[in-house]
Amino acid sequence: MAYRDFRDFLETLQKEGQLLTIEDEVMPEPDLGSAGRAISNVSDQSPALLFTNINGYRDARIAMNVIGSWPNHALMMGLPKTTPVKEQFFEFARRWENYPVPVRREASAPFQEVVVDGNVNLFDLLPLFRLNQYDGGFYIDKACVISRDPSDPEHFGKQNVGIYRIQVKGKDRLGIQPVPQHDIAIHLRHAEERGENLPVALAIGCEPVITTMAAAPIAYDQSEYEMAGAIQGEPYPVFTLPGTNLDVPWGAEIVLEGEILAGTREFEGPFGEFTGHYSGGRSMPVIQIHRVYHRKNPIFEHLYIGMPWTETDYMVGINTCVPIYKQLKDLFPDEIVAVNAMYTHGLVCIVSTKKRYGGFAKAVGMSAMATRHGLGYCKLVILVDETVDPFNLPQVMWALSTKMHPAHDVIILPDMSVLPLDPGSNPAGITHKMILDATTPVAPETRGHYSQPLDAPIATEKWEKIFQGLLNKQ
Amino acid sequence: MSTCPRCDSKEAGKVSDSPVSGAWTIYACPVCFYTWRSSEDPKFTSSSLYNPDFKVRQADIPKAIHVPEIAQRK
Repeated sequence: MAYRDFRDFLETLQKEGQLLTIEDEVMPEPDLGSAGRAISNVSDQSPALLFTNINGYRDARIAMNVIGSWPNHALMMGLPKTTPVKEQFFEFARRWENYPVPVRREASAPFQEVVVDGNVNLFDLLPLFRLNQYDGGFYIDKACVISRDPSDPEHFGKQNVGIYRIQVKGKDRLGIQPVPQHDIAIHLRHAEERGENLPVALAIGCEPVITTMAAAPIAYDQSEYEMAGAIQGEPYPVFTLPGTNLDVPWGAEIVLEGEILAGTREFEGPFGEFTGHYSGGRSMPVIQIHRVYHRKNPIFEHLYIGMPWTETDYMVGINTCVPIYKQLKDLFPDEIVAVNAMYTHGLVCIVSTKKRYGGFAKAVGMSAMATRHGLGYCKLVILVDETVDPFNLPQVMWALSTKMHPAHDVIILPDMSVLPLDPGSNPAGITHKMILDATTPVAPETRGHYSQPLDAPIATEKWEKIFQGLLNKQ
Repeated sequence: MSTCPRCDSKEAGKVSDSPVSGAWTIYACPVCFYTWRSSEDPKFTSSSLYNPDFKVRQADIPKAIHVPEIAQRK
């Protein structure tokens, strides 16, 4: 099912009616950012956008919202576009078990068609634009950034592919945000301890599976490429950038090659973030770009980010739920049923679990907070019974409204770690966290009147299948 | 040199002209790193019209916290 490259995926979206090409002239600002925002406002089934006529540019093409809906996310996985979210979650989790799938190495790559060596001017080379009105500049916000651990450069799994916000600050100079929880921050720390710059490559316009894995919180020594192979069901193609040890996605539209300057921090931001707030200005590392590769007439991919839901939330939805699910499942294999950590990248997390005994679900909640991702997120963990679908918010609200007793089921944990971008954290990076146990009490916690649950009529499942079949034919 | 709409530095300069001649120009400020396009609404290109809540004081720039901290050489 693997997509050869970004253009291959866009062709599939076109065939499936999930790509909207806008040929009328648009202004770089405010039209592109506004359209990226608006497409998520109008539907959760929305298409990707391809702009082909941008004021002031000759041949520029800009793609946005590429995996910005559940149909597009399903197509990313090679599933029918009508696949329900919960089924996408379980299929993603099933494929995750196939890790690792070794990469396929290629001897050349399409982005070698054009090489700009020296005298790089990114403002001339890329159709950059301001996304949100008080962003401090023009950003590259959906590039796969590749780096290796300078203290263990031969370790393929420690090579990192991640997505970070990148401000274009000068003709050949970028700002990057590697918060301490990010893998690239470990690479940078090791490089700075050695007094060395950190070589990096930025791949823009990749097929969506590597982008999805680059945005997933997988283990430090796990390879995003080998996990992408597991998710797409065949080896992921990479190309080693000449003169470097950096493996980049073979099908990329554009590749920037450079290095993060050791010991340098420079003012960056603010940038409108997935929290629905601007980040404020901070001093962040700087990337010096030395070389640019790109296809002829490349497609520049960008994503809108802001108050949920946006493309960002689809991009970091299921790929965040599954690692938390897997880590909880390692602890409690017979009890954990599903995890929905899709709200503001998992600041709110809902876990469906069986109970061994009274108090068990609360321990599951604390375990969720202690997962790798939970350390910086999971500010609120809601526990629901195994019969409640955590992806069905009306069911979750029902559980909260009928199962939770505020005197017994609310736990506040003071001064826990959270990502500094949480605008409520004080100081930045510290917050209280909360567990809401909305599971049915079990012995020895015998309270409430839960002995007569209302089951659905016995033929309900049969009728669900009948209706799904009828609706899919429409 | 141009005035930066955000930090009022006088050191901002042109970094790119539109490929289609005369459509717009992009400017960048080497002090606060604000970047803007001449075709944007004046409230993003004019120092006097820029939203005061998002102005940057040049004196505050060196005080911005480091993310991440610079690692000590070992």
